[in-house]
Amino acid sequence: MNRTSAIAKSSKGSKGSKGSKDSEGREAVRKPGPAGIAVGRPGFLWAAPAALFFGLFAIVPLIMVAVLSFASWDGLSDPEFAGLANWKKLLDDPVMIKSLWLSVLLTALGVLVQTPLSILLGVWAAGHQRNRAVLSAIYFVPMLLSIAAVSVLWRALLDPNLGVPAQATWLFGDGNLFGMQASAIGVLVFVSTWQFTPLHTLIYQGAARAVPPVLYQAAQIDGAGRVRQFFHITLPQLRNAIITSMILMVVGGLTTFDTVLILTQGGPGSDTTISAFYMYQKAFKSFDYGSASAIALLLVLVSTLISLIVVRLSGYDKMRSTMEGL
Amino acid sequence: MKQRARFSRTAVVGGAALALVLSLSGCGGGSDAADGDTIHVLVYGDAANKVEKELVATFNKTSKVKAVLDTIPGADYQAKLQTIINSKQAPDVFFNWGGGSIKPFVDAGLLLPLDPFIDKDPDLKAKFLPSVFNSAAVDGTSYGIPMRGTQPVLLFNNGKVLKKAGVEPPQTWDDLLAAVKALKADGVTPIALGGGDRWPTLMWFEYLYDRIAGPELFQKALDGDKDAWASPDSRQALGKIRELVDAGAFGTNYDSVKFTDQGSPTLLATGRAGFELMGSWEYSTQQDAHPEFAESDLGYSAFPSVEGGKGDRANLVGNTNNFYSVLKKTKRPEAVAEFLKLMYSDQFVKAQLSIGNLPTTTNTEGLLDTAASPEFAKFQYDMVKEAPAFQLSWDQAYPQSAATAMYQALQQFFNGSMDEDAFIKAMQALPTS
Repeated sequence: MNRTSAIAKSSKGSKGSKGSKDSEGREAVRKPGPAGIAVGRPGFLWAAPAALFFGLFAIVPLIMVAVLSFASWDGLSDPEFAGLANWKKLLDDPVMIKSLWLSVLLTALGVLVQTPLSILLGVWAAGHQRNRAVLSAIYFVPMLLSIAAVSVLWRALLDPNLGVPAQATWLFGDGNLFGMQASAIGVLVFVSTWQFTPLHTLIYQGAARAVPPVLYQAAQIDGAGRVRQFFHITLPQLRNAIITSMILMVVGGLTTFDTVLILTQGGPGSDTTISAFYMYQKAFKSFDYGSASAIALLLVLVSTLISLIVVRLSGYDKMRSTMEGL
Repeated sequence: MKQRARFSRTAVVGGAALALVLSLSGCGGGSDAADGDTIHVLVYGDAANKVEKELVATFNKTSKVKAVLDTIPGADYQAKLQTIINSKQAPDVFFNWGGGSIKPFVDAGLLLPLDPFIDKDPDLKAKFLPSVFNSAAVDGTSYGIPMRGTQPVLLFNNGKVLKKAGVEPPQTWDDLLAAVKALKADGVTPIALGGGDRWPTLMWFEYLYDRIAGPELFQKALDGDKDAWASPDSRQALGKIRELVDAGAFGTNYDSVKFTDQGSPTLLATGRAGFELMGSWEYSTQQDAHPEFAESDLGYSAFPSVEGGKGDRANLVGNTNNFYSVLKKTKRPEAVAEFLKLMYSDQFVKAQLSIGNLPTTTNTEGLLDTAASPEFAKFQYDMVKEAPAFQLSWDQAYPQSAATAMYQALQQFFNGSMDEDAFIKAMQALPTS
């Protein structure tokens, strides 16, 4: 039995219901309440302020960027229509293709590292252990700092001669973390993880707390241990939280910018030049706003596509509830 | 990972012009009583603004037309300048680096040729050192008056470290290689390099190209002759760079070190490195962070010569100076001309010297005793004065659209992830105009 029909069933029995379309659950929900006020879906007016701002600061610039991607503009003279020149240039540009690949790689690494970590932390933080509240508060601190400040801090901490690597040469070797592609990417993933794991931990903490205790009680009676309970109750119950958190990670990962700007500046060479940073370089270092706009648009398309894939594969679009069957 | 909506980045590009213009108009544009009675002077915002403020106040004391000083914090300066220069918020006079940094504006027909000013007042040219003054000329026409100080690149050293290893400041390339060997044997990094910033790496290319091929080769490349990069001299210079890197002169982790966060200057000051090739601001940087070191052990010398090379050992590279350029649409050119005359006044020179800058006017020499460090100021001044050629930093000489690709190629050739041919190809692909 799904959720809507459950509601329909309950409304069938209620006094206020006229009962004309009781078998259709949705109709029943929209019925006016006792005071004659529509209950259920809020009117469009509620969304108007947000829609206005979204239109003004997201849709309008997006259209402007789309137009600009077909023009050549250095910010000095008037933009000139350039047809597909920017797009052609981009598709032939090895750095552009590399940057897209790097964006996806960085995002995937972020999801792979942060998801298990924040699930474990979140589930732990949902419990009732001693000192839990204090430790959770400490774990949350990185989230409160600005990403720019965090990046500057880590850049200084990771200086090969004056920072941590100089003290732990057995781990870091000569400390050339920013001089090689693999380690530079490693640092970027690490710093994002350090900063954003608290947010995802918070999501999982909330979701874990919402798991009905009766499930654990039943499992305990059946003799399931803690590990089994985690894999057979907690994890399935966290399904929607995992998808929510992953979509945030994907969208955030594809548009990562500040960490790259401060930590690696896209280097060594162009080895960490992700698309968002490449766009910034084109626009504000090379003053090639046309190409930058094309990159921006490409990034929007790719992000949308990946988000859609995540939603589709995960079944999130069907909005199935974890409460089914209870 | 970030939880920001994906649109926010794209909105940045589209809305940037609007936002920047709005933020700048907040700085000064709004305060005009009557537009024709003021001139706006736009400067790179940093500690040196102290002198600019003083000069504006001096100017306003006697002038009917008042000057207004607008500043933009350093890191944002170029991007914001480019955004406003063709708008209503454009200043009358603005700070720049000469050469390639103003060429796009000249090409767009935005700048006022200064020759008519100079015809009226020949001192506006004659009072400045020619090698510096000429680096703000585009196609033979003057577009900038020097302001602030010159910044040649010098080979700085830690005297104590050199002494311990029995090394003298190198006169020739072979001296340098020998010094590298001796310092390495002594357990220090021979040369500190902030490769993470990339522009310090560029300095090694600039000097080696100059010493081996002379200043003409780079000029040829800049003028659009792509073959210059593939010439035997160019290959020889690249070979020398490879030789130095392979000798371990910079250690192995230079790409993770920065100058801008005090990384490489600290290596030099604390005796963990013997040399650092850096702009003359190294002196004030050290004076600020390691005053005792700057006082007693910080040494400096010219870049060594390369045997058989065509470049004079007295040639310099670096920022020749900063310049004031004038917008064509200024309504008060006479007032602007008067304002620019202050740039060779004794008051200007003294004020700049007192904050460690070295102006490039002919009267500077007589006032060197008032400098923060008279000895260093004199050394620098003589070098700049006697330099047969002063090569503007490549990233400033080339149009800004070239900078990113240039930095990438430099870094990759230097750390060995790109070979000679690929580097040459990358430099040939740079836009030259």
